[in-house]
Amino acid sequence: MTPFMPILDNINKSDKEKIVAFPQMGNIRIPVAAALKAMGANLYLSPENNKEALSLGTRHSSETVCLPYKLNLGNYIQALEGGANVLLMFSAPGTCRLGNYAKMSEAKLRELGYDFEFIVFDMYKGKFLEIVKKFSQATGNKSISNAYKGIKIGLAKFDALDEIERKLFWLRPREIQSGMAEKIYLSSRYSIDKAETVEDVKKSVLEAMNKYNSVEIDKNKGILKVYFTGEFFVLLDPFTNMNLEKELGLLGVEVERTIMLSDWTNQTLIPKWHRKIETHKERAIRKANKYLSRPVGGECIESVGDTVFAAECNIDGVVHVAPFNCIPEIVSQCILPNVSKQENIPVISLLMDEQTGKAGMVTRLEAFVDLIKRQRKVRKTGTLQRKTTNFSLKSNPRILSGSV
Amino acid sequence: MKIGIPRALGYYNYYPFWFGFFGSLGIEVVLSDRTTKKLVSEGSALVVSETCLPVKIYMGHVLNLLEKKGVDIIYSPSIQSIDHKIYNCSKLRGLPDLVRNVVKKDFLLIEPTLDKSEKNQGLYQYLYESVAPLGITDKKAIKQASKVGWAYQNNYIGMAKDGMHPMEAMETALKGKVVIKSRKSDYPISIAVLAHGYNLYDDHISMKVFKKLENLGVKAYTSENLSAEQMQEGLNVLNTNLYWANELEISGAAGSFMTNKKIDGVLTITAFGCGPDSLMIERITRYAKRLQKPLLNLTVDEHTGEAGFITRIEAFTDMLFRRKRASIIQNLNKQVEIDLEREEISHSRETIVKV
Repeated sequence: MTPFMPILDNINKSDKEKIVAFPQMGNIRIPVAAALKAMGANLYLSPENNKEALSLGTRHSSETVCLPYKLNLGNYIQALEGGANVLLMFSAPGTCRLGNYAKMSEAKLRELGYDFEFIVFDMYKGKFLEIVKKFSQATGNKSISNAYKGIKIGLAKFDALDEIERKLFWLRPREIQSGMAEKIYLSSRYSIDKAETVEDVKKSVLEAMNKYNSVEIDKNKGILKVYFTGEFFVLLDPFTNMNLEKELGLLGVEVERTIMLSDWTNQTLIPKWHRKIETHKERAIRKANKYLSRPVGGECIESVGDTVFAAECNIDGVVHVAPFNCIPEIVSQCILPNVSKQENIPVISLLMDEQTGKAGMVTRLEAFVDLIKRQRKVRKTGTLQRKTTNFSLKSNPRILSGSV
Repeated sequence: MKIGIPRALGYYNYYPFWFGFFGSLGIEVVLSDRTTKKLVSEGSALVVSETCLPVKIYMGHVLNLLEKKGVDIIYSPSIQSIDHKIYNCSKLRGLPDLVRNVVKKDFLLIEPTLDKSEKNQGLYQYLYESVAPLGITDKKAIKQASKVGWAYQNNYIGMAKDGMHPMEAMETALKGKVVIKSRKSDYPISIAVLAHGYNLYDDHISMKVFKKLENLGVKAYTSENLSAEQMQEGLNVLNTNLYWANELEISGAAGSFMTNKKIDGVLTITAFGCGPDSLMIERITRYAKRLQKPLLNLTVDEHTGEAGFITRIEAFTDMLFRRKRASIIQNLNKQVEIDLEREEISHSRETIVKV
């Protein structure tokens, strides 16, 4: 190597195009990619979460770290191998181990010898401005109008995805020919992904709704309804929760996922004074007060609050999912049996880790669905009323919990 | 009036303060028995199996207080954050809520919250919440009592920093005495033992590690021997900033000890499933490699056997002894070489002079 090489190398580095990558979590890839593209970023879209990412992440992290971290690390390694050189992540105080992800994964990746720029959305410093600033840093974008456009189309896609997903949850148990709604969902998700303006997004949502309306449904079927609640990442990532929503739908259960993508973005991005309605978190804090009187980080209070709310809304059951060893969800797992007894609502806690097999989960869900079916019958005949708080502790252990 | 304080978690850090505070307000404090195997199994029956060992033990102590000690008031504080946006682990933040949901007995739970990130959840509000359910609402008396509490606490901290075993220091402080002993320092090896206080000083969890080290001829240092500033510098060594409320006593102390030449090795004891520790230990392991300090990480849970524990500590200290011996011999060799060189030089000088 000639002595000039390092200098040339440096010049290349400063001129080198930035290729941005971000960690994956279910559908979040579509709106975030859209926002980054609108700001003119060069994007490396790492593949959706998969086995390879998980095993890469597991290999390079300590065993007791939670599952989302392992997947994030796997995504980063895949992206860096694929040519990305700018990585995005956010860090927030007072949550759980999530606040440490950025620090940890950066140290680990540097140790593995990768060269990259790491941009952290630091939520210690305020929310909205920080996001705009860091997005601009990542994309090299300088115009405010572009940033506005990017964020606008990103938010539009968040909402659109939620809308078609909600309808899918409603249709899945009711459709006569199973799999029809799923097909429509996948095709319209693709068209939303491809849409370039807000109008296009709206158009594809309308199209999807029209198609959904043409699906034949069984109107006389007795549909059970469950709340799907728990830890944020596991809820939103179909790879991690092994698509339990679909399994539940095929078992004839309508699923209401308590955290949708747009709920979360609205909650974090829109400032407090601008909000008109009670957010999901505020509702959860209000409902959970009897059992959990202070927020403890993560989505613990949401899990507890949603379970209480489900009992009030006469929902048939609650499916609570969490990654193995998630600190806040351990607290909610300890509290939920009591909520289940006091409010008389069936709850099942399912823990996900890299070893979990799908068959075991589905078997447990089937048993749970049988249980809530029977309970609904009993409730109809009136022998069992909701809101019977004077349960003896030993009878009616209506919770199936445990890890795999 | 009697209130029960479980001999677990916060007890190991704050008990002298609570003792002085409640004592000066005329409230009798009842402690639970020391941790036993039965107590642990009773406690772990109440919570899900994933919960970490110290919390399981805490539940056991609450049961012990209610069943054996005849107490029907339990004091279980929630320390949310110790500084602006420096939060504790979820299980410690939600501790009173856990107790309320899990222990199915009739008792009064005093659950004050200390949250430095909120505007009006500071120390005095916390202390007010601690005694208001007992009918004491005189804010002046509470302030006065907290001063008494701090006197006890400062005595305890002072003695522990001086090198007295923290549990011995606590006993002395509770008697209202301050004892500064002169100690011989003829230990060949010094080890830094890093763990949260509630793991380290609970003889059931740490299996009397101090006694074992003492028998092996090892001097044990703990984070109690360091000042807050030293631990803060330690965090800089590890190139990190404070995230968890109890990060200083692990990461901070590790950074400080690993750059200290007096310390030969570092021993960490963590409870299985401890979330914050899993991250801190990873960072410490990385820096131990860089700074070339031997490190042994032991993970304990309710099934850990004493034999395996002792074997590993013995092997670790053996390794440290060998390392120290090797380095001493190396230094000696160097010294001998230097001496020989000097001799040669002086010899040649002599010959020169002779010529």
